[in-house]
Amino acid sequence: MSGEITLLFTGCPASADGFWVGASTVALCRAEGRTILFDTGPYAYRPLLLGRLKRLGLTPADIDTVVLSHLHWDTATNADLFRNAEIVVHARELAYAEKPAAHDWATPPYMARALRKLRLNPVAAECDIVPGVRLVELPGHTPGSIGLLAGRELLAGGAVASARDAARGHAEVWFSDGVQADASLAKALSVADIIHAGHDRSFRAGPPVAYLGDYALRIRLFFDPVGMDQEICIRAEQARSFATWPEG
Amino acid sequence: MRLDLLIPGLSAKTDHFLFGICTLVLLRDGRRNILFDAGAYRVRGALIAALQSHGLAPDDIDVVYMSHLHWDHVENVDLFRNADIYVSRKEYEYTASIAPGDWGTPPFVREILDGLRLVLLDEREEEIFPGARTIWLPGHSIGLQGLVVDSEHGKAVLAADALWSARDAVRGKPDLAFFDFDQGLASLNKLLAAGTIFYPGHDRPFRLDDGRVTYLAQNTYRLRVAFQPDGDDLECAFSTQAGA
Repeated sequence: MSGEITLLFTGCPASADGFWVGASTVALCRAEGRTILFDTGPYAYRPLLLGRLKRLGLTPADIDTVVLSHLHWDTATNADLFRNAEIVVHARELAYAEKPAAHDWATPPYMARALRKLRLNPVAAECDIVPGVRLVELPGHTPGSIGLLAGRELLAGGAVASARDAARGHAEVWFSDGVQADASLAKALSVADIIHAGHDRSFRAGPPVAYLGDYALRIRLFFDPVGMDQEICIRAEQARSFATWPEG
Repeated sequence: MRLDLLIPGLSAKTDHFLFGICTLVLLRDGRRNILFDAGAYRVRGALIAALQSHGLAPDDIDVVYMSHLHWDHVENVDLFRNADIYVSRKEYEYTASIAPGDWGTPPFVREILDGLRLVLLDEREEEIFPGARTIWLPGHSIGLQGLVVDSEHGKAVLAADALWSARDAVRGKPDLAFFDFDQGLASLNKLLAAGTIFYPGHDRPFRLDDGRVTYLAQNTYRLRVAFQPDGDDLECAFSTQAGA
């Protein structure tokens, strides 16, 4: 029996001028009576994360395990919400976060300090969280990046950032070791058929990679002090016929 | 007092995340480099770049004046190891037991501030730098503090989220009085009477003439999305000019 995965946030491979987007994937994995949260997103997710849990009938107190794929600003910053949970993190990642490298802009220098106040469970090797749900070591993106493998579905965290990285067989962004990152990407694609990427929609590993769903981002602009709101929507969808879109 | 806008606030929201891009200002009195608010983690690189464009590194900042301790104002304060960090005593003490439901103040804010040189300010309005007075503006948060600066263009009110956007000024009522609405309304009226130029928490700076808003800065944001594994990125841009 393996876990049932529900995405709370679907990551998006977006970048911008003037700010870091950090639209990471956050997922629930329910197995053997356990409610496991995989990653927690940036602080900018906090009220939405609480709302999405609520829509599933959950409060933060219902989460018994939080797995942090790595300790970046856009994955680990809401771990403190889950007071009843044991926080699973790789021991190497936690040790590294105590003193991040000077060039590493993504690991907040206070992350380890903040996490030390929580109920941490640092792991140093691959292990089962429950039967059929396994922690997989995927270093390179960061020193202690991990994924969560439920059957042939992988919550990949930073190790598989996007379908583009998977298609190219190359991890474009890494903070620790590029060779290791490419090896971890290959490992991720070999152990799983379905990849829940760190910053992208879920996809079938292929080859060729194939997305399992669509994506939409709404941006609402409150720019006019006396006028209307305006909204932009960016979507990516399965290819359709020009002739028949829109239907009806 | 010389006043430079480092990062303009952004009055926008997505259905995937909060932007949390607040107004960051550099003040220079000829002796000290003063930073008004530290910003959200996502502007960390942009803040360092903006300081650099003024010939400064984080180590050159002498004072960080924190308007309040919400996540999107405080997440980068740890960059400023050489600075005195001016924090409202009321805000700081509040972080020892944050109200349930207040998701704006990070429960780990004391870990962010750990090892920094804190200067706790009492609820007293005074000329804290030559040409800059503190102004107390509670309501959005428990002890929000702004600054009224004598700038070359007149009295500039750095209001942070006591004035979330220019809409608050036009409507005469705060859209996001997170902590206490009545206090927020009183603070809004107070700050609007304190100057002629306004730096909102999450909007561009503006001048207010008989209730009419004239923006003093605009910005264009570019977004790039790698939707196609084998193809090109989608690029789009939006400008704040649209509503000006």
